[in-house]
Amino acid sequence: MMQALQDSLVATAQGLPVTLFIWTASVALGMAGGFVVGALRFFSPWPLALPLSMAVEAVRGTPFLVQCFLLYFGGPFIGIDLAPLTAGLLALSVYGAAYFSEVFRAGFMAVPPGQLEVARMLGLSRFQAVLRIMLPVMALGVLPSLANLCVILIKETAVLSIITVPELTFRVQGVGTATFAFAETMLVLALVYWALAELTAWGARAAERRIERALAA
Amino acid sequence: MSPILQLRGLQRRVGSTEILRGIDLDVMPGEVIGVIGPSGSGKSSLLRCIAGLDEIAGGSVQVEGRATQPGDGAIGMVFQQFNLWPHLSARDNVSLALRLVRKMPAAAAAEKAEAALAQVGLGALAARKPAALSGGQQQRVAIARSLAMEPRVLLFDEPTAALDPELTTEVLDVIRNLAASGTTMLVVSHEMGFVAGLAHRVVFLDHGQVVQTGTPQAIFSEAAEPRIRSFLQTYLSRVAWAQG
Repeated sequence: MMQALQDSLVATAQGLPVTLFIWTASVALGMAGGFVVGALRFFSPWPLALPLSMAVEAVRGTPFLVQCFLLYFGGPFIGIDLAPLTAGLLALSVYGAAYFSEVFRAGFMAVPPGQLEVARMLGLSRFQAVLRIMLPVMALGVLPSLANLCVILIKETAVLSIITVPELTFRVQGVGTATFAFAETMLVLALVYWALAELTAWGARAAERRIERALAA
Repeated sequence: MSPILQLRGLQRRVGSTEILRGIDLDVMPGEVIGVIGPSGSGKSSLLRCIAGLDEIAGGSVQVEGRATQPGDGAIGMVFQQFNLWPHLSARDNVSLALRLVRKMPAAAAAEKAEAALAQVGLGALAARKPAALSGGQQQRVAIARSLAMEPRVLLFDEPTAALDPELTTEVLDVIRNLAASGTTMLVVSHEMGFVAGLAHRVVFLDHGQVVQTGTPQAIFSEAAEPRIRSFLQTYLSRVAWAQG
């Protein structure tokens, strides 16, 4: 059993950088893509907004596991032949973007219309009102939801083990298979994810406190 | 002297509902108009149409003989819900449009913003964010924000309706001072005593129409119109009840 634990820790050390890379990259890509999609859905006329909303619904309406399978194993049939890491990063970014877009769209909707009417009365252009009023006011409102999604995404990285991305779960699972110490290795795995999630939540709380302090000054 | 604000046959419709049914009004420079009437009579719609925030179905709004649109600087508006921008200090709430719209250099805009805040008695709180201000102080910042753009006509849409009773006085005092200094304004308010003491003329609206326009004396004391009498009666009985 000690051997299994020791191997688990080695596997963790090997898999963690990959997990962290996929996580941060998919959060960055997903957030950027989600912002664009959310903004387009909020600001553009329906011929553009409708297809985007259907795409978001498709991503949100299917299991992430199935999306990974479709992309990695189904992709080659239509000429999309990606390495596991690339496929995993792409799948998670698209998945994240769908959810991030909903957060941003809700954020846009939550900006009190009166605050924008004042901007209009005072002569700000629509662009200035969006940049100077809408985005900052929205940013304050969406922060907790963004942090929540980051935590969800770190856990979803585990799903990528099934398309052989050499991340945490893939590595540690390998130890379980080799040593038959499934429970112990899974326990190590759970603790590592939990620690990462707590770290994220802690960072988000610190950011929220900072914003609250800035607003209350 | 020609009117500074001229409304002719102003109409607003939402779907098939007539909100305003042809409002005519001439407002002279420096005049203070009180607008009263029952809930749903179209008071707020009237101000929003004058401001250009709500589309009109017919008629015209002219300031100094010209049609206006939101943002051209002719009209300023103060809302019931203050609508301060929460991420900006009082100073920045006031100076943002000076910088972006009037293209004033930052230092000059800040100076002008502080002068406007001093005018509403908030010179010392310029650095505070809205969340660190009381409701009355927030509304005074909103007034300063409109004032700094030097509009020709200032509209107040129930400026104290969202405030606790003990915070209304400071806002009403600011509006009184503005009126005394010759600011042309239309004030929608349920503070009848305030309107009676402030307005040069009072407009009574009901169902999107002007029922009567007259001096506060003519409306509050002498109006024979039953709709005005019964509206004022509800207010009087409420005050009487409150005073025991």
